[in-house]
Amino acid sequence: MKQAQFEALHETGWQAFADWLKKRRGAQPPFPPEELPARYRNLCQQLALTRERDYSLALVERLHDLVQQGHDHLYSGDGDFWRRLRRYAGGGFAADVRAHRVWVLAAALLLFGPMLLMMLAVHLNPEFAYLVVSPEQVRGFVEMYRDGTTALGRTARDAGTDFSMFGFYIFNNVSIAFRCFAGGLLGGVLTVFSLVFNGLLFGVVEMRLVQAGLGENFYSFVVGHSGFELGGIVLAGAAGLRLGAALLAPGRRSRSDALRETGRSLIGMVCGLAVMLVIAALIEAFWSPLRLPFPVKLGVGGALSLLPMLYFVFAGRRHGT
Amino acid sequence: MLDTLRPVTTPELIEIRLHPAGLLPRALAWLIDLMLRFMLLALAGNLFSLLGEFGSGLWLLLFFLIEWFYPVLFEVLWRGSTPGKCALGLLVLNDNGTPVGWGASLTRNLLRTADFLPFGYALGAVSMLLHREFRRLGDIVAGTLVVYRHTTPATLIPTATPIPPTAPLGREAQRAILAFAERAPRLTPERQEELAALLPTLAHGAQPPQGAARLLRLANHLIGRQA
Repeated sequence: MKQAQFEALHETGWQAFADWLKKRRGAQPPFPPEELPARYRNLCQQLALTRERDYSLALVERLHDLVQQGHDHLYSGDGDFWRRLRRYAGGGFAADVRAHRVWVLAAALLLFGPMLLMMLAVHLNPEFAYLVVSPEQVRGFVEMYRDGTTALGRTARDAGTDFSMFGFYIFNNVSIAFRCFAGGLLGGVLTVFSLVFNGLLFGVVEMRLVQAGLGENFYSFVVGHSGFELGGIVLAGAAGLRLGAALLAPGRRSRSDALRETGRSLIGMVCGLAVMLVIAALIEAFWSPLRLPFPVKLGVGGALSLLPMLYFVFAGRRHGT
Repeated sequence: MLDTLRPVTTPELIEIRLHPAGLLPRALAWLIDLMLRFMLLALAGNLFSLLGEFGSGLWLLLFFLIEWFYPVLFEVLWRGSTPGKCALGLLVLNDNGTPVGWGASLTRNLLRTADFLPFGYALGAVSMLLHREFRRLGDIVAGTLVVYRHTTPATLIPTATPIPPTAPLGREAQRAILAFAERAPRLTPERQEELAALLPTLAHGAQPPQGAARLLRLANHLIGRQA
């Protein structure tokens, strides 16, 4: 078949396809959407013929353009985004975390191990604190928890300050977690460093405040958000370690394939932990600074901190892991 | 091959060609985005400073969102390009040629942090220079490519009265003629004739237009210009 005949035979179809792609909202489309896949496949076949028969490059170019646009249209299906989101939040996230439980455990050890060691070290000899922080910083932490130990009810700070702290906590904590995840791309070195350093820091602060007699203030402040916040950081560490492991030991895949598959399996978890940290920031900014009797703070805070644990253990069991 | 084309085969067994973009245009696009983000934040800073402490919280939230999600929102909701990429005619695609989705876009943009190390995107730049398809680390993990938005090179060919070839031409011959016609405006007339002499059977016919002029007319016919 000559090119001119071929063009004459299919011109109306190509025109309709181009019009359909360019259609405006409200205008009558040249054909109903369910015909798109069949028409797209026809177009693909015509492009293949055009190439095979050495028709002019201009025609190849034109059909290639149409095919590419049709391809983008056909394969850009992100339509059930909200349903996927609901399902992920309703249990997929927990199942994901359970599937990575070895890595979560490793990250938890890297965070809490140094923390407990540091608490012990500072308990035995307070000088050890200065391995991690300067004396001025230690004094700063102590001052932060000292002010107004007696007043009950609302804090000295007003609602505006609460909100400003909310912005700060989100910015700071989520950024740390994202960096912890991205650090995995350096073989996990940065992730390990970030976990261990934060563990040591928490250990120092906790022990020094207890030694300064401010333990009650400290625990009443942190108990509410610690579950979400530490949980989020541990998960970020787990994701970073997993990514680092894919880089160092890709197994029987090429390194880039291993990274890609691992990255795909982790991104949901990273989004989930970001949401956890946002919840932690909400609690930390609006609930934690409230001055209520210690048992109330401890009870409510403890319950809040148990929530993520319960979620990870029980949610999403029906889908299987 | 010198051309940095990436052929992608769709499930319909049709080949689509993608043209990955290198370090320089991507760096420029990033600079444009950086300036835009900076202006946006400065503007918001002025506005929110009227709200006192509440405003500073709002500004920090906005800073957080822009820092991490500015590229994601644009790439997913605005056909694959941030304003900077759009200005340079770039867009982000999955490496199978499909438009980029939330997961891939988030992955490549969260991993910017790793590309940034140790300073100023040094690692990302090295990765792009070493990779055959100019991918930075985030692109490798997310399985994404930054490509040029499709343009038709045919517009570069100078206009002349088209004439049909005497015999059907193969793909290679068509390509050679088109490549010659695209480059002709930048060559001296002597050099054009020299090159045309390499294709004696095509460049010389029974009728007057001979040599380079004839090849230009053939090219005009090949790209489908009407007489």
